[in-house]
Amino acid sequence: MGREVWPDIAFQDRIDSATFRVHHQAHIVVDSAICGDCSTRECIVACPANLFVPTSDGGILFNYEQCFECGTCYMVCNREGAISWDYPEGGFGVVYKRT
Amino acid sequence: MRDAGALDPATLDADVIVVGAGPAGSCAAIVLARAGKRVVLIERGPFPGSKNMYGGVVYPRILDQLIPNWWLEAPVQRWVTRRSTMIMTDDKALTVDFRCEAWGKPPHNGATAFRPDFDAWLADKAVVAGARLICSTTVTGLLHNEAGAVSGVTTDRPDGDLTAAVVIACDGVNSFLAKQEGLYGEFDAANYTLGVKETLALPKETIDERFGVRGTDGVDIEIVGCTGGVNGGGFIYTNLDTIAVGLVLKLPKLAAQKQRPEELIATMKRHPAIAPLVEGAELKEYSAHLIPEAGISMLPTLSGNGMLLAGDAAALCLAAGIWLEGVNFAMASGMYAGEAVVEALRAQDVTVSGLAGYQRRLEATFVLKDHRKLKRAPELVLSDRVQHLYPEFVTSVAERMFRVDNPAPKPGVRRIIAQERKRVGIRRRDLAADGVAGLRSFG
Amino acid sequence: MIAVCLKWVDRRPDPARAIVVAEPDERFAGVSAADQAALEWALRQRDRVGGEVVALTVGPSAAEAILRDASAAGADRAIRIDLAFGAPSRTVATALAGVVGEASTIWCGDYSFDRGTGSVPAFLAHDLGVAQALGLVAVEFTDAGIVALRRLDGGRRERLSITRPAVLSVEGSTALLRRASLRNLLASPIIERVGAGGGHADALHPVEARPYRPRPRVLPAPAGATALDRVRSLTAAGSATAAHGETVTLEPAAAADRILAALVEWGYIP
Repeated sequence: MGREVWPDIAFQDRIDSATFRVHHQAHIVVDSAICGDCSTRECIVACPANLFVPTSDGGILFNYEQCFECGTCYMVCNREGAISWDYPEGGFGVVYKRT
Repeated sequence: MRDAGALDPATLDADVIVVGAGPAGSCAAIVLARAGKRVVLIERGPFPGSKNMYGGVVYPRILDQLIPNWWLEAPVQRWVTRRSTMIMTDDKALTVDFRCEAWGKPPHNGATAFRPDFDAWLADKAVVAGARLICSTTVTGLLHNEAGAVSGVTTDRPDGDLTAAVVIACDGVNSFLAKQEGLYGEFDAANYTLGVKETLALPKETIDERFGVRGTDGVDIEIVGCTGGVNGGGFIYTNLDTIAVGLVLKLPKLAAQKQRPEELIATMKRHPAIAPLVEGAELKEYSAHLIPEAGISMLPTLSGNGMLLAGDAAALCLAAGIWLEGVNFAMASGMYAGEAVVEALRAQDVTVSGLAGYQRRLEATFVLKDHRKLKRAPELVLSDRVQHLYPEFVTSVAERMFRVDNPAPKPGVRRIIAQERKRVGIRRRDLAADGVAGLRSFG
Repeated sequence: MIAVCLKWVDRRPDPARAIVVAEPDERFAGVSAADQAALEWALRQRDRVGGEVVALTVGPSAAEAILRDASAAGADRAIRIDLAFGAPSRTVATALAGVVGEASTIWCGDYSFDRGTGSVPAFLAHDLGVAQALGLVAVEFTDAGIVALRRLDGGRRERLSITRPAVLSVEGSTALLRRASLRNLLASPIIERVGAGGGHADALHPVEARPYRPRPRVLPAPAGATALDRVRSLTAAGSATAAHGETVTLEPAAAADRILAALVEWGYIP
């Protein structure tokens, strides 16, 4: 669209509006050996929680703590096995209240 | 493959394990528990509904069969009495607005609700009926007997295997159980859309004023043309003292367009047709979820030996432009799965053929009839022409019809349509083809 | 008997809400990480020295959910003392004291989610006339008893040897509660219910309930004749330490060496 795009809500505030019970073990694992030479990097754009961050050396830094558990990342990823994604341990992860 | 031993209740922890206490799982559990079956309903969230979000309207008519007068007790936000479809471009919007006062009164039509409220309420009905609800427990896999039939589940708890005659997987859009069991064909990200949503707080009076409703009457607006270069759609609906604004975005396009979901929401919220509705609202909760949106073409095999799929796990979600439904398909498929399992247990046959009552019920009712009728609709609605060309075409035709361009005389409508079609670049053949496809689906 | 006291609270307290609130929404209620750690220590103690673990809570019937969880995690008995939500700490402690008198060790979380003050364990120890070891950051079982590390002000620690009956309150970081087995979760535990009895019900009267606001910390006034001087004395702005500075262009490895050399030179590292 032609209009200038700027976020109306700071991203951290957006994420902080949801509740997450963080487990000490990550439920997302990225294998940088597989995704190291990926040029499209769909996960960075599509993850609604913005959990995937490009690093200067061409790798991907991933977080798991504030994950909506939607599954977008592994679905858009075009590298077989680059993203291992499972549900967090029962009772942990996102807890919606009014949505 | 009839294994009498596997059906001996004494050797099994439960008659039926239902995985996931969403609308599908809870309805299955209600039916089974009421039939006197031992049901364990396993939910990975701390309570039912804690992981669930949706695009806004639940149509609980199907609950008439399970919970008479459900509207007296269901935790709804507002009853939808006004439905709008908005077609927009950067600076124009054309809205078809429908209002029905009767929908605000029993037996109602659709309602807005918070899923953590609605799903928890529905799961409680299963508990009251006698189902055993276990929360905070993730099912990690399926158990099989010697004959290869599903015979239970494994969970992420110590000593966490549980056996049953039948497992009903209502484990949502990602259904790892269905995938493990090989019930899905080739995986294609294009079958899925990402839903993102903001729940925004506004005083009730402000919502009533801006959306033109009173009391517990509510509004649901579906929007085409608000998703930038990404194929999808938008929605706004009213809760009691919050509104929800969200987008549904086709996955491969989203990734390819290099636009982040929250940026697309922000852009939609600044549209002149939307901004006055959402101005000054405070974000209460941001949420995201995947939607199986390709309709009948992506449906998995719905049953295996000792196993059924229902709800999003079975991709039973209707996303056909003017109809956007999912919770009702989940509730119905769960209910029919429950009925089919009761039948199968009575006949002591939980093989695919013993469970065939499920498919039969789905085929005989709206669940698959709607899907078959609307088989072309998802593709049509998310097509590039409907998404990117038709909004421009339709809104500019409207603009020229309503524009008073004196001293030039009014042009004929037919001429405007022909000129705008050419200007926007829609071939007559495509327009006719889409019209026929639309008529076939919706007509 | 090893007792563990658990408080049923809203797991997502809203800081804008008043201190005294209505009962938590059952869906969002549970116990704090500190209370979970207390339960884990109680179970570990039993695993080591034997005996039975009794889980207790003071609250309405909805609070029994946390006792079912505690039983599933391995508690041998579960007792709910019936009292309305939001009773003052004094009352809660007295109610608990009436039930846990026989216990050799009483484990508590150091304080709860809902802006608790951690006073229940102290009141409880007082009522029972036993020792107290509160705000523990580490616990270790030895042949002689329990050795614990207690948090003191200013980052100091105190090592305590606990050899006789005591009330212990632990921080949430000390232990991770074991995961309850599915079999235990499916079992229906027996929850004993007792009345709260009399006691100190009138000891505290909430006069007004306001949102939580942290207390400001009082600092001595800075020295200096003018406002500028006082700001400088607070921030050390413009003093010699701020004068270090040098811009160089180096390869990362060389730059790192240069930074380290400068820090040594300026006395920041030996």
